[in-house]
Amino acid sequence: MIANILDGIVLGLQFGLLAAGLTLVYGLGGVLNLAYGQMAVTSATIMVLAMDAGIPTWPAVGLGLLAGGLLGLLLDLTILRPVYRLRGEARVLLSLLLTLGVSFIVDGFLNWRYPLKALSLHIGGGAVEILGVPMRRGSLVASAITLVTFVGLFVFFQRTSLGRAVRSVIEDEEGARLVGIDPNRMLRLILVLSGALAALVAVTRAMVSPVDVQSGLSITVFALIVTVVGGLGNVAGALLAGIILGIVNVVAADLIGSYISLIILLGAAAVTILIRPAGLLGVKE
Amino acid sequence: MSDRLTGGTGTSQIGGTEARSSRSLPVLLIPIAAVGAALALIPLWLGDSRVLMGVAVLGLAFACYTIGFNVIFGSTGQLFLCTGALAGIGGYGAAILADTVGLPIVVSILVATLVATFTGGLLSFVAVRRSLGVIFTGIVTLIFSLSFEALVFGLSHLTGGDTGRLIDSGTDSFLRDRIPPYYLMLALLLVFLLVHGLLRRSHMGWAFRALRDDELAAELAGVDVARYRVYAALIGAAMLGLAGSTYAFTEGRISPTTFGFGEVDVVVLVMLAFGGIGTLFGPIVGAVTFTIVDEILIEFGQLRQVAYGILIIALFLWMPRGVIPTVVSLWHRLRGLEGSSAAKSTDSAAENLKSVSGESQSAE
Repeated sequence: MIANILDGIVLGLQFGLLAAGLTLVYGLGGVLNLAYGQMAVTSATIMVLAMDAGIPTWPAVGLGLLAGGLLGLLLDLTILRPVYRLRGEARVLLSLLLTLGVSFIVDGFLNWRYPLKALSLHIGGGAVEILGVPMRRGSLVASAITLVTFVGLFVFFQRTSLGRAVRSVIEDEEGARLVGIDPNRMLRLILVLSGALAALVAVTRAMVSPVDVQSGLSITVFALIVTVVGGLGNVAGALLAGIILGIVNVVAADLIGSYISLIILLGAAAVTILIRPAGLLGVKE
Repeated sequence: MSDRLTGGTGTSQIGGTEARSSRSLPVLLIPIAAVGAALALIPLWLGDSRVLMGVAVLGLAFACYTIGFNVIFGSTGQLFLCTGALAGIGGYGAAILADTVGLPIVVSILVATLVATFTGGLLSFVAVRRSLGVIFTGIVTLIFSLSFEALVFGLSHLTGGDTGRLIDSGTDSFLRDRIPPYYLMLALLLVFLLVHGLLRRSHMGWAFRALRDDELAAELAGVDVARYRVYAALIGAAMLGLAGSTYAFTEGRISPTTFGFGEVDVVVLVMLAFGGIGTLFGPIVGAVTFTIVDEILIEFGQLRQVAYGILIIALFLWMPRGVIPTVVSLWHRLRGLEGSSAAKSTDSAAENLKSVSGESQSAE
């Protein structure tokens, strides 16, 4: 049981990190980015190409993170311009459809040009024992990176004035505008951050299992589910929902079997949405 | 919007809806018959090739799916992202009932359609009860789609899992011939068109338009919004289940991609958006166009997906109301500008534009 829960937490941290970038963009801009997984996969492919070109692993990873941020910036500067002109549900719907188009373009291109590329990052060394359970070193490094990232995000949002400005836009866009904060600049910043987070998702996943060019859709879908369960726009909610769903998934997989565990995971998400549409940590509007 | 296509010039916009429902049946039947006649000629042209007839049957199936999705999303604004899953309940359900349980084909199609109908109604009931908005309805039904897909992969002794399942029932019947399946699907399509057309003219169509244009106003005017949403979902899901199960028997083989989210839902959404959300004939225009486009792009392999992506973006950026309504209103505007005595006809063109955009506002 302890082994299951530890595995669940490792998986859950991954889920949480998946959702963080998506939930921020949604909370801040009402933009549901269905090309999120494709951003991760594109960054992963850039890392692989860089390594193939002879660049050492860690500089290549850095390059990939940078590329992720640039992808976010690119989205903000191009396809999302007309989206920002809309409000409310129409904005969410248009952003969803346009980024769906982007995800098709990216998926189609990567499958055509680099069908066999996959990113895997091997962390050397044997298993490490935690509470009597041997854990893979790759999973532990990935979890540590995730935890550090979340601490960084919390510090950014709670302690820095820039982070507070972003939060003020999430809470009340008009109010923020009145005190001199430009919501569009904050949104651009968050899209860059979201792109870098997507690239980081690819990095941490690659430490556990290879990230191939076909995994974009599944990354997006899981990010979406965790985001919704955690409460749209809520980073802490994303972490909590990720860990809960991770544990649910691993325990269900151990007790019942793999495909039913996926259904249980999906069912848990659906039930949460139906009982608490605002998400676990969401505030009712 | 059919009335506009068939020469409704917007003479009395205020009484427009009234005029629409009091119009005689031929106004509805003639265009449907024309579509049927045009599509009935296709086998004369492609009939020699088994492959191309297969493509045509698939195109008709997609037209049916798009009508079903249109009844749910276009009429009442419920974003059901489980078109493929509901059709798949029909397809897999009917195949299992006929082959494994041993029921006659017609009975298994009916039972599977009932299950799909009930499932769609239940999803809508839950969404309405919890008053989920467009986005959350979309996410819940997407989760349902993924669960269905997981179930198909998981229950591989029934579904054949990844590789799919061959359907033995009906092997030697007309269902696997070259041309008859085409006419079967065409008949189904015409029935769906007729049902949707009659629906638009009935009191239910009134309620649909009212609740789509302004939900609160409709509710205040005494329209039971929740009930009509569920009705729309029941009818749409029945269409999806019936089309899915019939297609399964004509194809003889079903696999997860036959009813997959990427392969069905996304394509149906594109077809409907192209033809015009909420319109009667939009699904046909969309399905025919994209079936042809798909055939042209087939040699580009993976790049076909890129083309689809570009199309989706272009479509929703520049013609969010659909290509047909955009062209129609453009035509009305041009005609309005040409007329030299202009004042009156310009007015009616402007009214037309307004009513077109009004109709699709909530659908966007």
